[in-house]
Amino acid sequence: MGPSIPSRKRKEIVEEVVESDDEFGGAELEGILSQSEDESGVEESDSEGEEPELDEDEDEDEDEDEDEDEDVRSDGEEDGKPNGERKNGANDEEVDDDKPNYRIVKDANGGERYEYEEIDPVYDSDDTDAQGPVNTIGNIPLSFYDSYPHIGYDINGKKIMRPATGEALDALLDSIELPKGWTGLTDPETGKPLNLSQEELELLKKLQMNEVPSDDYDPYPDLIPYFTSIEEKMPLSAAPEPKRRFVPSKHEAKRIAKLVRAIKDGKILPYRPPQPEETEEEEKYYDIWANEEPQDRHIMNIPAPKLAPPGYDLSYNPPPEYLPTAEEKDAWEKLDPEEREKEYLPSQFDALRKVPAYGEFVKERFERCLDLYLAPRVRKNRLNIDPNSLLPKLPRPEELRPFPTVCQTIFRGHTSRVRTVAFSPDGEWIASGSDDGTVRVWALNGHQEWSAQLSSADEPEPVNMVRWRPSKDTFILAAAAGEDLFFIAPPIVSDATEQASRDILDAGFGYATNGASSAATTADGVKKEPPAKWSRPSSSLVAKGVLLKATVRSTIKTINWHRRGDFLCTVSPTGQRSSVVIHTLSKHLSQVPFRKLPGLAQTAQFHPTRPYFFVATQRMIRCYDLQRQELLKVIQPGARWISSMDVHPGGDNLIVGSYDRRLLWHDLDLSNRPYKTMRFHPEAIRAVKFHRGLPLFADASDDGSLQIFHGKVVSDLMENATIVPVKMLRGHKVEKKLGVMDVDWHPKHPWIVSAGADMTLRLWA
Amino acid sequence: MARIKKKGQAGAAKNFVTRNQAIRKLQLSLPDFRKLCIWKGIYPREPRSKKKVSKSSTASTTFYYTKDIQYLLHEPLVQKFRDHKSLEKKISRALGRGDVSDAKRLETNASRPEKTGKPTYTLDHVVRERYPTFVDALRDLDDCLSMLFLFANLPSTSMVPAKMIARCERLCLEFQHYLIVSKSLTKSFLSIKGIYYQANIQGEDVLWLVPYRFNQRIVGDVDFRIMGTFVEFYMTLLGFVNFRLYTSIGLKYPPKFDAVKDENAAELGAFTLEGKTLIGGEEQKKLEDVAHKPDPKVQAAVNKVLKSITNGDSNGAAAEEAKNGDSDEVDQDAAGAIDKFEPAAPGGDILLQPSYNGTNPNSLFSNFTIYLSRETPRQPLEFILKSFGCKRVGWDAVLGGGAFTTDELDPSITHQIVDRPPIQASMDEDGDGEDNQTAQKLAANRRVPGRIYVQPQWVWDSVNDGELKEPHLYAPGASLPPHLSPFVRKVQGAYDPTMPLEDQEPEHEALEAGDDDEEADADETVEGMDVAESGDEDEDEDEEDEDEQDEDDEEEEEEEDHNDALQRQIELEAEMAGKTVQSKTANPKTKAKEDARKALAKKAREEAEDLERAKGMLSKKKRKLFEQMQYTNNKKSAEDAKLRSKRRKVEKEKAAKA
Repeated sequence: MGPSIPSRKRKEIVEEVVESDDEFGGAELEGILSQSEDESGVEESDSEGEEPELDEDEDEDEDEDEDEDEDVRSDGEEDGKPNGERKNGANDEEVDDDKPNYRIVKDANGGERYEYEEIDPVYDSDDTDAQGPVNTIGNIPLSFYDSYPHIGYDINGKKIMRPATGEALDALLDSIELPKGWTGLTDPETGKPLNLSQEELELLKKLQMNEVPSDDYDPYPDLIPYFTSIEEKMPLSAAPEPKRRFVPSKHEAKRIAKLVRAIKDGKILPYRPPQPEETEEEEKYYDIWANEEPQDRHIMNIPAPKLAPPGYDLSYNPPPEYLPTAEEKDAWEKLDPEEREKEYLPSQFDALRKVPAYGEFVKERFERCLDLYLAPRVRKNRLNIDPNSLLPKLPRPEELRPFPTVCQTIFRGHTSRVRTVAFSPDGEWIASGSDDGTVRVWALNGHQEWSAQLSSADEPEPVNMVRWRPSKDTFILAAAAGEDLFFIAPPIVSDATEQASRDILDAGFGYATNGASSAATTADGVKKEPPAKWSRPSSSLVAKGVLLKATVRSTIKTINWHRRGDFLCTVSPTGQRSSVVIHTLSKHLSQVPFRKLPGLAQTAQFHPTRPYFFVATQRMIRCYDLQRQELLKVIQPGARWISSMDVHPGGDNLIVGSYDRRLLWHDLDLSNRPYKTMRFHPEAIRAVKFHRGLPLFADASDDGSLQIFHGKVVSDLMENATIVPVKMLRGHKVEKKLGVMDVDWHPKHPWIVSAGADMTLRLWA
Repeated sequence: MARIKKKGQAGAAKNFVTRNQAIRKLQLSLPDFRKLCIWKGIYPREPRSKKKVSKSSTASTTFYYTKDIQYLLHEPLVQKFRDHKSLEKKISRALGRGDVSDAKRLETNASRPEKTGKPTYTLDHVVRERYPTFVDALRDLDDCLSMLFLFANLPSTSMVPAKMIARCERLCLEFQHYLIVSKSLTKSFLSIKGIYYQANIQGEDVLWLVPYRFNQRIVGDVDFRIMGTFVEFYMTLLGFVNFRLYTSIGLKYPPKFDAVKDENAAELGAFTLEGKTLIGGEEQKKLEDVAHKPDPKVQAAVNKVLKSITNGDSNGAAAEEAKNGDSDEVDQDAAGAIDKFEPAAPGGDILLQPSYNGTNPNSLFSNFTIYLSRETPRQPLEFILKSFGCKRVGWDAVLGGGAFTTDELDPSITHQIVDRPPIQASMDEDGDGEDNQTAQKLAANRRVPGRIYVQPQWVWDSVNDGELKEPHLYAPGASLPPHLSPFVRKVQGAYDPTMPLEDQEPEHEALEAGDDDEEADADETVEGMDVAESGDEDEDEDEEDEDEQDEDDEEEEEEEDHNDALQRQIELEAEMAGKTVQSKTANPKTKAKEDARKALAKKAREEAEDLERAKGMLSKKKRKLFEQMQYTNNKKSAEDAKLRSKRRKVEKEKAAKA
């Protein structure tokens, strides 16, 4: 508040000057000035004209004056100066002015009027309220003066003129350019807009911020270095000042060096680097395959399969036959989406504009993506071949002719099931043996030529096997009934042949006794039973032509002649050690070649050209070299129970029939396992037989049928045998689960004869 | 003594690892592993024996080849993934501490390709590794193109940033530009799924599918992160492929892209090709020339006339210039072409040479100015027309910028492709001539005389057959001939809709088909005899026959018996009535058919017997295989038979209508 008073003081001087010019204007000015003085010096700008500026200049001038002659003009300075001084000042003034303290002024009526100088109440005076309201109208609303040009009276009773309220334009200007410190309020006392000075605003701000309002107050005074300023007489520590206090710090040097390096490297920048503001950089493309070199793919590399190209039914306008019918559409819609064969339904649109969006497009693409990276890949060899190429090249059945196709003759006469049948070596006769104990010889036309009851008619021993001696100049039939082996020369051929046959049969009688006696004693002197007893059968039989009998220890099931007709082997499965016996016809001698056999012997056969001997047990076939007396080969057909076998006339192939319905072809050179396994019969196979001349073989089964195969063996080692099923011959009836018991081929023609359990023989041609 | 081999130390057990093992070995998260597999093209395998490979009993384990995983171990991308993972950890830690500014700072380092569409890594080396040669890359381009064309048509979402879509679109358009310039598009097919295109690039056939321009329906279980990963790789791949393709024909890559034109939906037109040969510039010039001279033929004719009238005229000179230009072109063409080797003396071997007739399939539309109507799909048509030689394709301004002309009445237009119901010929065609200059648009359903109106399928069928189809078949509103897929390979014996039915149906089917007809006739005659004066029932009879046709196949035998019985019955009745039996004499044809059928049946039976015998001689394994093959073959042939029977029916209906 200091500076305001002197300025006011001086204003009065100015005022007087102005007043002399123009009274009314001066009064007006005075009002403004005084008022402005009260507020501050700043808002003088809003009072019109150059007056305020001038004012301020003078203000400053005056300040300077003050500084120069302070003691002379110390009148207004109430606060800053001590009381005494002020009083002195006042006295000085009084002393200086000898003139009357009034002026004579002409008043409005033209009369004289004394105008006293203003009394300067000193500080001590009663009027302490000199700073009180300038307007003396008291506590009445200002609106009462609305109709007057003034708004009240000052302490001197002078009218305080209404400040220039300004024209509408001024108001508008005010509203547009808001002056500094504008509050928008009106001072209720002066009616002028209430403006705040910069200092006042700052003050308010400080109050608002809860800060100390006065500028002088320093909340953080400088710390007085209390301890260091005072030098102690006695130091607290006697330690000498360390060296590090005097040398520059290495650590700091290090840190600074680090910073320097960072600055050099550009890690610390003086300014914030401009953000790479979404710089749309083009992708850099270059010829990535500039120096390409083809690589062989790893063997495990499986490239992803390509999607199949679209077919006709995917067209937007397919041929009408590709459109689904109503039922197909229904079926498609009813199916689960996963189960559908095609994921789309063919549909037709008659114009391109009618084709809608394909709803599953994104999904299908997505599934393809999944397939590409998620589906396990496996290399599958797809056989892109015609399935017919898998089928073996079979010759046409016509090319395989001749083979038996129809039943030509049926031989009836046996009263029980026919067990066995055999063609005579010249192919003109058929011998058969039956459960009724008879052996019969038939002509090919079906006529029975000869018959003999080998055992008693009451308890007939079944004739298990009949086999002709394989030579054309004799006519000898070997038949097995029970434990007896009969040699028969049926008297139905020419006398010369019959005589030759009889000679051969009788030739051994001289040896028989010798052989028996020599073999009778063994090392320990025990009389040993010979494996067979050779004798003449009963005279009735001899009269029939049954000339010789050899009795072995157990029931004979199989007979097989050696190709020369001197040896024959019999197999009796139940005879333990002596199940296989080889008989020598010329010496009436029987030998047991094997001391022990693994398993029950089923059948045995001589090799057609070499001195080999095949013995079939239940599961295996053994091939022995008779000269060297050693085991050559063990053949494993893999059948459970071998029923029969036959050796190919070439000698390198073997067929085996088994009770577990298999027919097995063995190539002896190839392997000891079957070359082909044929399973065409629903029932057990009883007999198998090769044709002696033609590439044919046949089997007979319990299902009452014969099967004829074409089996061609070539001498070329590189080529395997071709086996072609050719014909199924059906005709025999199945009785008591037995069908065809035995078969035999005609030696030259493609004719086959079969023995059935239905008591007939059938000749097929 | 040999060392005892431990189980699981060698062989298949070592060759395969499960997915979890692989992830643990690579120290990656599952999504990162997935990304890596997609980019590096690593896929699970099906070991030959799962039991030998897996230690656990879980059936559904996926196995990877161990070498593949080892190969991933020193992949630079793996390090990138790990770095990023640790960065993510730092960010989350900073956020957890509430240190937002730190997190923000770290975030600036993180790459968010799913947001920005720009990763910090590049896949260049992956492309090179996966495709050691360029041809390898071309071989694998099918999926790449299908995918990118799909993404170019997708709306941008939070998962698919707009930038990715824009880039896909650009790459696709650039690729299309290459196809147009190199004329390597071979075939295209309008399917219900979208449009298939096939191009032959450097001897490799590339087939891809572009969806129709609709908003794609996105079904819930589509994971766009996986698709995005694929697309990221494919974009890189196609970029490099484009580069190579462009440079191979002497063009600069990337071509100049005009953003303003692109804003106007110019699509293909937003690119300007530039290169050593300045192909684009030349074309531009040519186009401008053409703009001046509406039709070269017409112009030539006019010039001729003018020349004949006034020798040495300025027009004549212009014509000469044009001619000179043409001859230059011819020379240029001849220089690049293969010379024909004619044997100079007889006796030499004849070597095959590629023949080039005058009509190159890829310049099919080169002489045409084609205008696309508002309702036609502009993008595919523009692409296919341009790649088959058409340089002047115009369209309505509605379809976007870049058109040769947007004036429908431009007199140079030779063909207009429309896809709306039949257009009525305008009543006052005379007035059109005057209107041409002023009127921009024609009133609806009015034709401009002197140009050919066709439906879009005309373009596709012409392209696929390599020759211009007759336009009257494809006239607006006409019922179109079927649109056939050009990708189906003809297989001997399979059903082929392009061939007449008689040529491809097997004998027995033909007989049956004939029988159906004959039977109908026979039945009619029977009816006629039984009921002497009833001609009206024929129609009913026909209908019945049609109904029965389906069942006829199965009831073949019964039918036959039944027919015989019927025949006998008729004979008896006729005898009783004292009439003569006509049916036998009336249908000698039927008899012959019958005989033929019997013979056929016998043959079939014999064949079946033979087959049975031969099958008996096969080993079990081979027999199984054979039966399997026969099963599939039978299925296929059953389908074919079905198609044939359907077609027979359709043809019969058509005949009946006619």
